[in-house]
Amino acid sequence: MESSDGEAVDKRRVHLRPVTLRDPAPILLHLLPCEVLVNRPAPVGLFFTPAIRQGPDGLEVSFRGRSLRGEEVVVPPGLVGYVMTEEKGEVLLGKQDFSEGLEDDEQEERELVEPPEALERDFDRFIGATASFSSFTLWGLETIPGPDAKVRGALTWPSLAAAIHAQVPED
Amino acid sequence: MDLSELERDNTGRCRLNSPVPSVCRKEPCVLGVDEAGRGPVLGPMVYAICYCPLSRLADLEALKVADSKTLSESERHRLFAKMEEDGDFVGWALDVLSPNLISTSMLGRVKYNLNSLSHDTATGLMQYALDQGVKVAQTDKEPALGFMTKSEEMDGQLVFVDTVGPPETYQERLQQRFPGVEVTVKAKADALYPVVSAASICAKVARDQAVKNWKFVEKLQDLDTDYGSGYPNDPKTKAWLREHVDPVFGFPQFVRFSWRTAQSILEKEAEDVTWEDSQTGDQEGLRRIKSYFSEGPRPRLPHRYFQERGLESATIL
Repeated sequence: MESSDGEAVDKRRVHLRPVTLRDPAPILLHLLPCEVLVNRPAPVGLFFTPAIRQGPDGLEVSFRGRSLRGEEVVVPPGLVGYVMTEEKGEVLLGKQDFSEGLEDDEQEERELVEPPEALERDFDRFIGATASFSSFTLWGLETIPGPDAKVRGALTWPSLAAAIHAQVPED
Repeated sequence: MDLSELERDNTGRCRLNSPVPSVCRKEPCVLGVDEAGRGPVLGPMVYAICYCPLSRLADLEALKVADSKTLSESERHRLFAKMEEDGDFVGWALDVLSPNLISTSMLGRVKYNLNSLSHDTATGLMQYALDQGVKVAQTDKEPALGFMTKSEEMDGQLVFVDTVGPPETYQERLQQRFPGVEVTVKAKADALYPVVSAASICAKVARDQAVKNWKFVEKLQDLDTDYGSGYPNDPKTKAWLREHVDPVFGFPQFVRFSWRTAQSILEKEAEDVTWEDSQTGDQEGLRRIKSYFSEGPRPRLPHRYFQERGLESATIL
């Protein structure tokens, strides 16, 4: 949560609730090849999941009258996916059911921040995991996203990042 | 009519047919093609063929089949039942195109319009009849030297099609596809030729029944099925559409998303969705010409590695 340019960036610190990472419920996620220009819960279980069919070349469904083809993408070994939600006010937002929400790229790649050390001042913000996943369904417009899908490439970043940031052994 | 196969899965298309009367494999037949449910914004479109030996055409006419639009629902049912009774010389086949199939075809990256979809479906049904050995057509003789002569054998091998779009081009298209068959494409063929009337009755009976017993794929509760005629200009249909908008998913699959009526309701009542092939107003790659002369710092783009993977650093939460 750091930024190179100071303006327009929220000065408040973001803390992670480590306890929420311990045992969040597993969840089914779908990554669609489109953007719904709103962030809100959606009745995925009523409209979307029941319409999924196993076709000859992968999963099939439609969204807004457009044909989608999908496949499972597994989170790389050693990593786990979390659905992170910000706590709002005094109520823990974790209580809300976001299980039906459409997730976007960032959700999977959002890095975990270090456990908070500071006092919980009222202008600090807190996020916690509301669900976890080890795979998700990736959908392409009319065709299977396949091995060249952007998000598959994105998932290789953590291991590369670990390699380039690792301590070089002194000989 | 047994539509259980459609009810099992109504997200694609579904072919239904009567047994082929054995006489239709022996004697030259006349075949009619028609459709039902082309205009409505709701439910499937049904294509139908109906055929009988030319020698029994008078018996089909004697049933007093007529354009399905001029008949009441009960008359259509009665006539379809009669045709079933006459299954020893009357055969039919249907192709039910689900609204989902229609939407996804018409809204594809490569648009597949309703006319082409209709033509291809009609062609598919005719081919089905030929594959089943129905003697509608096809001389044994290959067209020699690129021209066809109307041989004696082809007499009575006739196909009548109710038109979709201009009849001339449609007829040409079918004639090319089935060179051995004499195809007649006409507007209002369902009122002119009894065998097309019979096809129109099959199609309409199937469409009505499919709409009436539609199994919604979505798990919607308290769904009211009082949607009127399903035609876009029916106020009842419009009201039903407006009441069944979901801000994210739009409509149930029962609705043809590709219809103007459905689209304009979504534009007003549902959230906007952008696709990778959506038209965008501003091309990000194009910069104002003045920007090449200014001294200001160019926006720094992340490394290609990150761009290619759609990765951006999170600066706001």
